[in-house]
Amino acid sequence: MAKKPHTTLSRDEINSLFLNYKDNRDSEIKNVLVGAYMDLVHSLARRFVNRGEPLDDLVQVASMGLLKAIDRFDPERNVQFTTYAVPTIIGELRRYFRDRSSAIRVPRGLRERSYMLNTAIQKFSQENGRSPNVSEIASALGISEEDVIEGLESNEATMIASLDTTSEGGDLSLLDMMGGEDKTLKLLDERLSLAGAMSNLDSREQNLLYLRFIEGLSQTEIADRLNISQMHVSRLLRRSLQSLRQNLTTSSREPYTS
Amino acid sequence: MPETINDTVCIIVPPHQRMLKVVRLTTTAAASQSGLNLDQADDLNTALDELFRLSLSKSGSERTFCLHYNICSDRLEVLVEDINAGIGDKTSKVGRYRRFIIDKVVDRFEERSNTKGGFDILLVKFMSD
Repeated sequence: MAKKPHTTLSRDEINSLFLNYKDNRDSEIKNVLVGAYMDLVHSLARRFVNRGEPLDDLVQVASMGLLKAIDRFDPERNVQFTTYAVPTIIGELRRYFRDRSSAIRVPRGLRERSYMLNTAIQKFSQENGRSPNVSEIASALGISEEDVIEGLESNEATMIASLDTTSEGGDLSLLDMMGGEDKTLKLLDERLSLAGAMSNLDSREQNLLYLRFIEGLSQTEIADRLNISQMHVSRLLRRSLQSLRQNLTTSSREPYTS
Repeated sequence: MPETINDTVCIIVPPHQRMLKVVRLTTTAAASQSGLNLDQADDLNTALDELFRLSLSKSGSERTFCLHYNICSDRLEVLVEDINAGIGDKTSKVGRYRRFIIDKVVDRFEERSNTKGGFDILLVKFMSD
């Protein structure tokens, strides 16, 4: 946790600015204060970067928290601003995830287990070059196989996978990494004779289907290539297949229930 | 090929959307018993998703989705009983789609005519080295 702002301003100057801002609510002073604490904002936003939201969005959310903290901070209480700002900014980030990231509210325990599973699967896959089985994950986490299976399924409901998600530590979104339309996609189209249904899919969905069903990559291999988790690939594939199926059933008028 | 069947699991569920979760949980558990990894378990679930949705689309008030899992030492076999129209017409887009997807995600699948005038479908997924 940052104890003091990374700025050329001294602590006395900062205190003076806060006192001045409290009295005048001058937007220029506020801008100076915001600039003085932007490193803190970035630092706190980065803590949440592995949760599937783009860093830029997190920085924006954290900046909103900083603005609130500056507005509400009372410099006469003799407390350092960071002491007040950090929980305010983190609270703003947590609210953001609470409101936007979960498609379905699941019990906290299950959410935490799901997160642990995701991390353990990634770690295992990186270390062993293959997907783990349930018992290996259970053993690594010290939980029962039943708990692993339950967690794997609950994970499907906890997050809507966004193709705009930025990979960890990278500037490229999943969409960018999947590339544009590929001529070889026609292979899939030809093999399936699914011209209409395929053309209605997003080109990225087509690419994902291509990697899995034409190149024959496993989910773990796709995950490696795209720098995302196997569970994320699983969710995206399921969604892509659902889109394809939906297009087909609509076009062929076969009864369909989803 | 080892023929040892270590366990057999059977489930019968009504073809309701909410029951798909039960099928998935059972499949993942059976796959785990067979030593399949998560990728392979998810492949089987993909194939069963297709068959389950096919079952959803059929009419009839007494329909059931009946699965037999043979948990073997080197593979998992899943027999889906009496899909009355099989995977689907080979000339239809949806039928071809299902065949393509299922063929890609399992190591073997067979449609077998049964005595009820419908089809049983066998899916087999082998443990990787």
